Amino acid sequence: MTTSDVGKIEPQEVARSGQDEAYRQAASEYGTALDRLAYAYEADPDRRRDLSQEIHLALWRSFEKFNGQCSIRTWIYRVAHNVATSHVIRQSRWKRNTAAYLTLEEAEAQASRENVEISADRHQTLTRLLALIQGLDLIDRQVILAYLEDLDAESIGEITGLSTANVWTRVHRIKNLLVHQFHKGVRDAR
Amino acid sequence: MPGDCLPEDLQILWKEMSMSPSTFSPPQLRAELERLNEGKRRKSIVFLAAMGTLIVSFASFFFLFPNTLARTGSVLSVFGLVYWLAQTRMSRARPISEMGDSNCIQFYRAELVRRRDLSRGFPLWSRILLAMPPWIVFNLGFAQLYPNLAPIMWFDCGTIVAVIAFIVPMGLRQARMYQRRIDLLDAFQSRS
Repeated sequence: MTTSDVGKIEPQEVARSGQDEAYRQAASEYGTALDRLAYAYEADPDRRRDLSQEIHLALWRSFEKFNGQCSIRTWIYRVAHNVATSHVIRQSRWKRNTAAYLTLEEAEAQASRENVEISADRHQTLTRLLALIQGLDLIDRQVILAYLEDLDAESIGEITGLSTANVWTRVHRIKNLLVHQFHKGVRDAR
Repeated sequence: MPGDCLPEDLQILWKEMSMSPSTFSPPQLRAELERLNEGKRRKSIVFLAAMGTLIVSFASFFFLFPNTLARTGSVLSVFGLVYWLAQTRMSRARPISEMGDSNCIQFYRAELVRRRDLSRGFPLWSRILLAMPPWIVFNLGFAQLYPNLAPIMWFDCGTIVAVIAFIVPMGLRQARMYQRRIDLLDAFQSRS
């Protein structure tokens, strides 16, 4: 994992430049990552647009209260994941099936019953990756999304509230699960 | 086997997800916030107007219908509706500005607990017991005063009972669903 993009916006900068400028910088630096995050939480394009707007709105509003209590990157990801969590809980009131996310243990148990075969091309792989992430329980989803965005274990722990060791264990297990699912997907497609 | 190197490749693969980032300017967001607040205000006014009409109606029924049951029902209904109104306004979601202060597990758990508590226990039963039975008591009093209108009052009572019979299991089912997720989260945290 790289730490190259840690804290490019400094808390002092936020205080100095104000809410609007802090948001502009955050959006230009993390905008694409926030859109990928929205993709991982919402499969429906219309609702995803709404979620993306909700995240940006919450982020802009949150800068009013940001005073350097954590790194700016942690703040941005916490706000984004928490808005997305609210969105998922709200949606699950109306869609019964979304309440049935797979816990990592259930997903692993399911995967262990499958045989391993070959990998797919990158596009299919990405589609499967997204589908698998969208099926994970929220905390596992947050861990793997942060990992995919190059965050180190300590930062993932700050965002999610997990210990660093636990982050590593979960990342490792989710990655193994992803590999297993890709192979299963290819075999099923044949 | 290509799959063997897949995990190392995942982060690059993930970032290949091509999309033009959503862009919003602060004035756009300010306008959107204003639109949302306006919608909330409108909903709030409609809700308050509906509750206010009911409260004023039941208060006036106290003077209009001089019957012990009807008066008891109208007084209890006013208390029940005021309580319902207060509870609805107190159980709002966390403000956006606090979202960055809580880590994801804290936020997720707090949100599940808030929603679970709204769907069961004291909040559920107090809303039902304080708002619905007084209405039935009032109807019984009204039926005593105007026996020719009694069938309408019985129908009204039946509707209230049917609503209760629908709301309670729904609320409890929702609460069980939230509780299952809280238990999973707690088990997950205790293992870590």
